[in-house]
Amino acid sequence: MSEQEGPGNGFEPAITVFMCIYCAYMAADTAGALRIKYPANVKLVKLPCTGKTDMRYLLEAFEQGADGVCVVGCPIGNCHHVDGNKRGLARVKRTKQLLDEVGLGGDRLEMYFVSGGMGMTFANAIQEMTERLRQLGPNPLSWLS
Amino acid sequence: MMDKDAGGRHDKTVGAAMVVGGGIAGIQASLDLAEAGYKVYLVENKSAIGGHMAQLDKTFPTNDCAMCIVSPKLVDCGRHRNIELLTDSDVVGIQGEAGDFTVRVRTRPRYIDLDKCTGCGDCAEVCPVIIPGHFNEGLAVQRAAYKLYPQAVPSGYAIEKRGIAPCRDACPAGQRAQGYIALIREGRYEDALRVIKEDNPFPGICGRICNHRCEEACNRGKLDEAINIRALKRFVTDQVYAQARAPETGDLTRISRINTDHRTGTDGAGEPGAGRVAVIGAGPCGLTAAQDLCKLGYGVTVFEALPVAGGMLRVGVPEYRLPSWIVDREVQDIVDLGVELRLNTRVDNLDDVFAEGFEAVLVAVGAHEGVRLPIPGADLEGVLLNTTFLRDVRLSQLQGGQDAPELGTRVAVIGAGDVAMDVARTAVRLGSEVHVYYRRTREEATADEEEMRHAEEEGVVFHWQVTPEEIIGDGNGRMGGMRCVRTEQGLPDDTGRRRPVPISGSEHFVPCDNVIFSVGQRAGLAFIPESAGVGITREQTVAVNPNTLAATRRGVFAAGDATTGTAFVIEAVASGHRAAESIDRYLRGEELEPPPEPRLPVVELTRAEIEERIAAGEVQVQNRVPMSELAVDERVSTFEEVVAGYDESGAQAEAARCLACGVCSECLSCVYTCQADAVEHDMVERVEEVQVGAVVLAPGYEVYQAEQAAEYGWGRYPNVVTALQFERLLSASGPTLGHVQRPSDGQVPKKIAFLQCVGSRDQTHDYCSAVCCMYATKEAIQAREHEPETEVHVFMMEMRAFSKGYEEYYRRAQERYGVRYVRSRISYVREDPRTHNLVLRYVGEQGSKGAEGQGSRGAEEQGKSPISNLQSLIREEEFDLVVLSVGMEISEGVRELGRRLGVELDEHGFCRTLPFQPLQTSRAGIFAVGPFREPKDIPESVVDASGAAAAAGAVLARARWTRTEEVEYPPERDVTGEEPRVGVFVCHCGSNIGGFLDVPSVAGYASTLPGVVHAEDNLYTCSQDSIQHITEQALSLGLNRVVVASCTPLTHEQLFQEASRQAGLNPGMFQMANIRNQCSWVHPDAWDAATEKARDLVRMAVAKALRLEPLRKTEVLVEKAVLVVGGGVAGMTAALTLADQGFPVHLVEREERLGGNLWNVRMLAEWGGREVSGFKVSGLRLGGADAAGSDEPETLNLKPETRLVWRDPRAFNQQLVDQVEGHPRITVHLRSEFLESSGFAGNFTSQLRGPTPPQPPPGGGGERGVIEVRHGATIVATGGVEYRGSEYGYGTDPRILTQQEFEALLAETGNLQPATIYRCGRRNLQSVVMILCVGPAERYCSRICCTTAIKNALALKRLNPDAQVTVIYRDIRTYGFKERLYQEARRQGVVFVRYDFDRKPEVRVSGLNVSGSRLGEPETLNLKPETHLSSPKGFSETQLEVAVWEPVLGEELVLHPDLVVLSTPVVPPEGAGELATRLKVPRDLDGFFLEAHVKLRPVDFSSDGVFVAGMAHYPKFLDEAIVQAQAAAARAMTIVSKDVLEVGGIVAQVDAEKCVACLTCVRICPYDVPQIRADFGVGGIVGAAYIESAQCHGCGICVSECPARAIQLVRYRDEQVEAEIAAITETGALLEMEVVGV
Repeated sequence: MSEQEGPGNGFEPAITVFMCIYCAYMAADTAGALRIKYPANVKLVKLPCTGKTDMRYLLEAFEQGADGVCVVGCPIGNCHHVDGNKRGLARVKRTKQLLDEVGLGGDRLEMYFVSGGMGMTFANAIQEMTERLRQLGPNPLSWLS
Repeated sequence: MMDKDAGGRHDKTVGAAMVVGGGIAGIQASLDLAEAGYKVYLVENKSAIGGHMAQLDKTFPTNDCAMCIVSPKLVDCGRHRNIELLTDSDVVGIQGEAGDFTVRVRTRPRYIDLDKCTGCGDCAEVCPVIIPGHFNEGLAVQRAAYKLYPQAVPSGYAIEKRGIAPCRDACPAGQRAQGYIALIREGRYEDALRVIKEDNPFPGICGRICNHRCEEACNRGKLDEAINIRALKRFVTDQVYAQARAPETGDLTRISRINTDHRTGTDGAGEPGAGRVAVIGAGPCGLTAAQDLCKLGYGVTVFEALPVAGGMLRVGVPEYRLPSWIVDREVQDIVDLGVELRLNTRVDNLDDVFAEGFEAVLVAVGAHEGVRLPIPGADLEGVLLNTTFLRDVRLSQLQGGQDAPELGTRVAVIGAGDVAMDVARTAVRLGSEVHVYYRRTREEATADEEEMRHAEEEGVVFHWQVTPEEIIGDGNGRMGGMRCVRTEQGLPDDTGRRRPVPISGSEHFVPCDNVIFSVGQRAGLAFIPESAGVGITREQTVAVNPNTLAATRRGVFAAGDATTGTAFVIEAVASGHRAAESIDRYLRGEELEPPPEPRLPVVELTRAEIEERIAAGEVQVQNRVPMSELAVDERVSTFEEVVAGYDESGAQAEAARCLACGVCSECLSCVYTCQADAVEHDMVERVEEVQVGAVVLAPGYEVYQAEQAAEYGWGRYPNVVTALQFERLLSASGPTLGHVQRPSDGQVPKKIAFLQCVGSRDQTHDYCSAVCCMYATKEAIQAREHEPETEVHVFMMEMRAFSKGYEEYYRRAQERYGVRYVRSRISYVREDPRTHNLVLRYVGEQGSKGAEGQGSRGAEEQGKSPISNLQSLIREEEFDLVVLSVGMEISEGVRELGRRLGVELDEHGFCRTLPFQPLQTSRAGIFAVGPFREPKDIPESVVDASGAAAAAGAVLARARWTRTEEVEYPPERDVTGEEPRVGVFVCHCGSNIGGFLDVPSVAGYASTLPGVVHAEDNLYTCSQDSIQHITEQALSLGLNRVVVASCTPLTHEQLFQEASRQAGLNPGMFQMANIRNQCSWVHPDAWDAATEKARDLVRMAVAKALRLEPLRKTEVLVEKAVLVVGGGVAGMTAALTLADQGFPVHLVEREERLGGNLWNVRMLAEWGGREVSGFKVSGLRLGGADAAGSDEPETLNLKPETRLVWRDPRAFNQQLVDQVEGHPRITVHLRSEFLESSGFAGNFTSQLRGPTPPQPPPGGGGERGVIEVRHGATIVATGGVEYRGSEYGYGTDPRILTQQEFEALLAETGNLQPATIYRCGRRNLQSVVMILCVGPAERYCSRICCTTAIKNALALKRLNPDAQVTVIYRDIRTYGFKERLYQEARRQGVVFVRYDFDRKPEVRVSGLNVSGSRLGEPETLNLKPETHLSSPKGFSETQLEVAVWEPVLGEELVLHPDLVVLSTPVVPPEGAGELATRLKVPRDLDGFFLEAHVKLRPVDFSSDGVFVAGMAHYPKFLDEAIVQAQAAAARAMTIVSKDVLEVGGIVAQVDAEKCVACLTCVRICPYDVPQIRADFGVGGIVGAAYIESAQCHGCGICVSECPARAIQLVRYRDEQVEAEIAAITETGALLEMEVVGV
């Protein structure tokens, strides 16, 4: 990315992660236990289930200046609340549309599914999102906060 | 001691249970028992619980992450106040009887105090010992200080130590040689020096001149050559001393603690350091003692007569062996501690010392006086003494060579000890020709071999067996030579050495200029006058007590050579340590004799063990790494050091040879690094006695040791792994982080083969391990998920996918993941040594799907003889990786356990249990669960575990709640209306957080946040004192919110919450920030960014804390009764289990009588030897049935060579019915129906409709016959029925019948004649064809049919041994021990023919094909065979014909049996769907009730308080149904055993004002909790949603779906979550805090 001029250069995107207290939280813990590194500019907010993900929360995170937002839940089929993660995914999809409509870009939001042992996958998701946001550049709303 | 129950009555029953084995079964049993009101001791052999399940990646058939689902159970178990974990422990004995056992438990030392350990892992970080990782099945390495796995419970670390390494044991000073060698290998020389100095202040000295007994003891010597330990020690000093010298200061107490007993510490009792000690003699002994005493805080003065310190080291050992600067430096290190050293100070009289005010004196004057032989002329000039000579040379060197002794040309040295060598080689360097004379042989010389070699190299001439008899003068008063005599070996003397005897006539003259006597030396004790009261021995040594080193005068101690005569430096050091310890005890006024301490065993490696390690490639034969030496011509002229020592690469190579005998090297790195002071290397094994009333054995299995199956090459071929290893390769937290790599080269395997039945179903295992088919399928699926390009072949005999959802999983593996299954048993594996690929040879099958992949050879040729046909199917195929699906075995340790407990085991070590009481071992009060009694998978083990909790409960019930503890909390403080007062505690977690970010600054920042009144940082916030500190701070500062910034709430939230609860705060007023797992650990290279992030996380936590609210819980009274729906064996067993333990039961059965399906089972076949032979009930009533009554096995017709045992289950069934009907606490509702239920766990109200009464009730009120029952839990046990369809002509001909009908036929006829005449027109039943997997069984496996078919086949054979039975099957799924029946059937000649669904057999009647009707075509439903039976005419004229394709022969077989028997599956009974709707519980696609979680909650429904048992859950055998019923009862008891249940907490709440009753929440809730209640509307609107707190799971899905935003989730209210989001930025946080008003 560094070869490019413009938004990608030296930019460390801020990411807000919403995660369920089951698989996703444990995956983040496991990433720690295995000392798998990922960018530091990531703040994690826990929810009882990704089914509790509210579009409002996602939008507020952007309003507070996040360059990207991730929602992380249990693998499809293994949700601890049957299919809360599917509900969460549905809302993430709708929010992505909304972000596209308002010009912020739906790509700034992504949902990931990990199981508790998948610390590496969790870290990779953060890494991947960071790379993507480096391409996309800073959140145009960030002057607000 | 007598136990009293609450009422004060004497009752022997102990309200505690022991669970042996901390795998998933043991965990579940413990939780169920503890929840039901018993104290539980959970004994686990490893350092953490979790068992095999924790090692698994995923679980089948749901592909859940094993750790995800087991981890919450681990945490529950670890934190349950009534479960005590005894890890690293074994049961070694048991006494007593059911209800009152005394169990002896042996606990191996963990070397880490679990009470202090915080699990931070700093010890593992510094541990230099690398060993193969157990948890990763040897695929990765671990440190000797380790945690079994990241989520391990208990979370503390452990140290793996076998014992004391022999090198340390051999060393008088106990030098931790293995420790510093391990550190050298890691390049940590400073650390190495530190650990050496722990026991020896003279490493540089001992590194050169020690007599190294460690090397003699070294286990490596058994292999090639001992490790060159001395040289390695010297290397360490060479490395460190080359650096600038930093005087040892500072952390002295810490170091001294290790030498003494650091559990009590030195800073406590007895006031150390008060008093002055005098040490006479600054040699190694005196200085060692001076150092120790100084570190203990005493004032120490060392008196030395010579102008230099170091004693013999400085003035005895020549410079070329030991450079003076080394001695000076090491002496200086001691002086720097604060020891006063008075040189040139000879003590002339001991009393003077006491007069100066010293309270204790240590005499350590060494042995500096040489000895002259008592021969004539010994006093002549030119005759010298060894010590004086060496000292004079050394002292003259100090003055630049002045006053050096002058020697003549030819010097004779008398003696051949080490000192003699020093003398001789010194004389060489002074320019003389040196001859050594010794009266014995070279072999008897005491000098070091190397020293003698050096001397010889330098030109010293040795004269063996020659001794001087007289020194002859030159006439001028000076000597001129000696008269010598030769000797020969005489008889042995007292010491065992042979006495040299002079040979007469061998006298001869030896001209020489000097004689130097070197025949010994002794102490100079002239300063101790006789009046001093200090005893002196005849040998001129100070008389001391050898244990305490105390001399005969109080306050006087003596050590070193002064007490023993000449010895080695290391002995002087050891003696010095002991003297210091003794003097310390003396000055503290303690008993001088130290109490005996248990010691760890010394590790002796056997030759075989070493060879094993060589075979495993861990060790290579390799001699010592050589060191360079000064050339001889150079060294004879100088006093330069001869031996150069190792360079860095040499030292590391030499260190790498260490065998690490003790595993833990005791390098003490962990001790130094642990800030919690938790490491205790002195721990020893201990045995404790535990009182319990019942024991549950859940020791689990071990996987088959694959090296035993040499044909598969495991252990020889790197790319052959076991399934458990493969599991670790798949695991995202495994050694390869979930990348499947082959061990030989780390490449992703492109082609993987699974070999099934390794260690199962073979010559030595007559059982099936029951899980391998499915786990291989799971691993195959996972392998494909990880690498979609990878080809996976499973080589199997057949697929045993026999349980719920398994068949579908197997199908998915083939269809969706393209896993290829090949029906072939591989006989051996060959490796291509170049590529490490593996070649398999196997016989392919005609028309089989799997085998025709690329790379396979061989062609299918038709029309040949079967034999050549087979040969043509032989294929060879190459694979990158081979996975062995290893079976289950019982380990030797578990067999030993069985023997110790006196429970009967079978020949494989599996536990025998009683018939009809599958969990009861041969000893009352002891139960067996899990694979210990038969191979089984996780859900069945969990069912067993819960069942055992119920069975144990039957023994313990009287003592329920007598041994349990409740935590008392102070009354809760009402903080409403108070200004927020937040306290923030930021944890360093040792260096885990503090080492990677600025913790104090984070705490400082926290204190600036609005609302925060206190912030501090702690070394370990979770340590016991810190926890208490939080409570104290919360109380004294009036905190109303507590925030802890540390690790993960998954493990620690409850702990901290309790600390704030102890301060009267509601648990809801606590918040955590995870600055370790989410920050320091994942950003280790970014100090600033990590610090910044930690501040952010703390800010977010504080922002949320400001918005916190108390969590309100309400108590609900528990209805103690249980409703059981279904009166079959499962329902009755559950009812009896509950009722026997004191709970009223309502048992609902819709039929006329109890007993259900079991009435249709007419006989049970068991393989003899599975069950216990002798069992004494000893007055106890045990669950379902009396053990003795019903199980009289029928041995009639039992062939002597078989061990089949036949039983009639109906007697058992009748007994159950009688017990149920006669039980005072069971209300049986026959011909009754469950209508509906309301309420929640603990408090249900249900309606039942009984038999319609003849008269409608007067007044017409209420439904007729409806009664209402109140109960705390519900158990669904509605069973299943045999499917009847029209497949294969069923219903069209009475000779086509189901297994159940056939079984009845066999049972009723006895000799078969009437029936067969009736049906077949023959005198006897000659031939039967059975077809398996009929109808719905094509879709799901009905689990029991294969075994039932085989049972019936054997039953027929029993009646008519000549009968031909052909079983047409798909897979024979006789899992576990049922395999034995299968083998027996084959032995008895039952023929098995396999078919596939795409080529099903055909059944015809005289050419008429009746198989046309397929599943789902309703043409001829249930033509009852009975109707045909009444008109048998005509059937005798037609003939049955079965045609089936035989795949191996490649031919169609046509059979003409008398009967065709169809194995139709068990299907849910009529009305099951309706019942599910009424109970609001789910069913699966096949109509069976669906449990909450297939793996870990097998008898629970997702709605709390409702449980399932028996065939309502899935088809199962009688014993499985019984256990499951017990399990359901146990689960129900976790509710009804309590008086009140707490409900509420994090639940959704509806704001009725906003609700428009749109039903969104009702539709969306995964648990069907919300209801629209008409009485709940607000403001004239009728109806609003109501969410029962007791039922809500708190997921919050309804909250975010609610269009009116009328629902909020406690603790995750919108404003709370939004506050957290806002606080991600500082400005957001400030705005937010303004809103809150702080």
